[in-house]
Amino acid sequence: MKGKCYIQGMAAISPQPTFEENCFSSPISFSTTNLLPCLEPDYKPFIPANSLRRMSRVLKMGLAASLKCIADSGIKVSGPIVTGTGKGSLQDTEKFLKEIVTYKETALNPTPFIQSTYNSVNGLIALQQKCTAYNNTFVHRGFSFENALLDSMMLLQEGEDHVLTGAFEEITREHFYIKSRIGFWKEEQIDSRELLSHHSPGSVAGEGAAFFMLTNQPTEKSYASITGLKLLYKPATEKLLSALQTFAPAVDAVITGRNGDSRFDHFYDTVEKYFGNTPQIPFKQLCGEYDTASAFGMWLGAHLLRAQELPQAWIGQPIAKPVNRLLLYNHFYGEQHVLIMLERV
Amino acid sequence: MEDLKTKLKEQIIEALNLQDTKPEDIDDNAPLFGEGLGLDSIDSLELMVLLERQYHIKVEDPREGRKILQSVQSMADFIQSKQPA
Amino acid sequence: MAERVFITGVGMITAIGDNVTENLQQLLAQQSGLGYTRYIDTIYKDVLPVGEVKHANESLFQLAGLPPQEGLTRTTLLGLIAMREALEDAGISELNSVPAGFINASTVGGMCDTERVYFDIIDPGKEGSFLQYIDTLDCADCTQRIADIVGFSDHIATISTACSSSANALMFGARMIKQGLYSRMVCGGTEALTRFTLNGFNSLKNVDKQFCRPFDQQRTGLNLGEGAAYLVLESESFAKANNSRILGELSGYCNTNEAFHPTSPSPDGDGAFDAMRKAMEMSGIAREDVSYINVHGTATLNNDISEGKALERLFGTDVPPFSSTKPFTGHTLAAAGAIEAIYALLAIREGLIYPNLNFSEKMEELQITPVTTLMQGVAINHVISNSFGFGGNNASLVISKYEG
Repeated sequence: MKGKCYIQGMAAISPQPTFEENCFSSPISFSTTNLLPCLEPDYKPFIPANSLRRMSRVLKMGLAASLKCIADSGIKVSGPIVTGTGKGSLQDTEKFLKEIVTYKETALNPTPFIQSTYNSVNGLIALQQKCTAYNNTFVHRGFSFENALLDSMMLLQEGEDHVLTGAFEEITREHFYIKSRIGFWKEEQIDSRELLSHHSPGSVAGEGAAFFMLTNQPTEKSYASITGLKLLYKPATEKLLSALQTFAPAVDAVITGRNGDSRFDHFYDTVEKYFGNTPQIPFKQLCGEYDTASAFGMWLGAHLLRAQELPQAWIGQPIAKPVNRLLLYNHFYGEQHVLIMLERV
Repeated sequence: MEDLKTKLKEQIIEALNLQDTKPEDIDDNAPLFGEGLGLDSIDSLELMVLLERQYHIKVEDPREGRKILQSVQSMADFIQSKQPA
Repeated sequence: MAERVFITGVGMITAIGDNVTENLQQLLAQQSGLGYTRYIDTIYKDVLPVGEVKHANESLFQLAGLPPQEGLTRTTLLGLIAMREALEDAGISELNSVPAGFINASTVGGMCDTERVYFDIIDPGKEGSFLQYIDTLDCADCTQRIADIVGFSDHIATISTACSSSANALMFGARMIKQGLYSRMVCGGTEALTRFTLNGFNSLKNVDKQFCRPFDQQRTGLNLGEGAAYLVLESESFAKANNSRILGELSGYCNTNEAFHPTSPSPDGDGAFDAMRKAMEMSGIAREDVSYINVHGTATLNNDISEGKALERLFGTDVPPFSSTKPFTGHTLAAAGAIEAIYALLAIREGLIYPNLNFSEKMEELQITPVTTLMQGVAINHVISNSFGFGGNNASLVISKYEG
């Protein structure tokens, strides 16, 4: 998909203090358990107490991030809302599965069932914003946020002024264990800050919510523009290379989804080699690996394009200025690959 | 009866996670839904679950449920009517 | 000018048949597929009726042309069976002869199988072949298994907007065609019955112990169903150049949100009203052009009031003939939009309006009543197909006769 859209506002809740003002002055937060949890904000300023009381964790994260993003954009009138999530509310799914057994299918509380539906965050945002426009939720692992972005870019092409686009994901202890049984995480416990220097099978689990207000016109305040998007399903190396050739011109840096997983590093090696000496900026040491981690990568890239800087402590290297054009490349366990072209406004 | 109502209020607060509410804040006859505590139809389902789990009383028909769940008083009356004296 | 989007192939499996022809036969015979589950492990197996596909998984493997194997869930198998029929129906023998996308829809992915082994999966003391089902926990699993088995290698996506999921999948695919991204998209959804969803809807006190009675005063809820359906969509220019057999046109669609309540529609049906109105506007048809409305008609207390009010507001005293086919299939959640889109095509092709089974008493809130007898030999040009769901997600499609 080619076309132009602009990031007019954004917000992220992540394992880093990204929801706070001046978040980049904080030291990087880390974990040594292979599970990097979000630093959750106080939700009360964003969500009315009467709504908050029933909401589970990822619903609060998703809703708060979306509301802060809307406020950041300065856009008052609601438009379409499109999101992506690989797993939705795991906490609610797990709870309902257990209550079915505990209470032998009788006297079940409907709340975890309602909140386990993947579109519940979208429904809540629409409800909060009294927004009756287009509303869609994609649930496809490493293509969840990516399809939401594609849908949003199409909506802008079709004439919408703005679209609220986001992604949310949580990791629970239970799901961490489940995925450890099929090799998602490293067997040795590592310091998440050193993720990229541990070449072994698996990565470190993460989570997060990131939202973007996308518009069809730039303003002085736009963070960046998104000029291209390409999804590749289980590509062979040649297919990835040919996509790079047709899709990506010279760029100033590559935001790379590298995650220390030795089984799939060859894809990142291919991209790194293709761009020669172009700086590679990793982000999974900040947010961990999860289905919609690319949304965090895009948040980071958009910051870089507008501010022209990122703290060295976060990304492990100084930035060579100016940065006008960034390619975000990410894949989820070798299956869903994405290329997103970001440009300075 | 008073004990039952106080206990019921505590159970409602816990079940619905009404964090800033205390049992004495809830008037026996105040409507639970709409203006009163500001509860909605999902809360009403949760209150029916409360009746089932705590008092072993099953409310099958949501229309009947609406009458029972008008206030703490009406809930307590219903519970008492279902229990052996 | 954006391309028109044509439907060139269909495939389905539901409680009333393993393919499109069998579904049509049962609709004509006015034979419901509702009954009691043979395959779900639940205390409600003799209490709550469901629209279950009449095959155990072993037999579904056969229908899908595969040897039995671990890791393929009932959701995947149902999807595969419908997908193979849709591709064959469209005359597609070589899937990658042109780039084709696949947009799937699912509400709980492989829950039908994972719920049986979940407690083994989380028990470190247990090992075994159940570990093959770990990845089937999410909604992408069925999409990728189907894609890999039949050979989709291009754009894939999975949508989950509760009961409107596959209507949104069709809409998304059609929009990708109109944007010129693809000339062929295969869209639809798959849903298997689960103890999880059955208990979920039951906890909402939304399930009828009798066979569901849409738009009836005495209705008390829905019956869940299962099934899968896919439609092959092609751009006009491609379909013509390819000499595709055109079954109909997806001429209009709209997605709106109620923004009213997490599980209930607004009492006056604001979202349903807007979805239908805008879909008709896109299709360029007037109210009198609508020959039939296949309503969402779940038979829950709220849906039918809200949807009925929306129909009365939109069409005034001239509401077109309408019926819900949920009493045939049960409510198949993520698959419903695609299943009913195929029913809309069959209505056009065969000149049919399906009866709304189990109706006897008009709702006091409404002036209108559904069609209750099978109507044949009716000229049907445009059908509205509604899918409304949790989270306030509404979708309406307009499916039109292809006039050449």
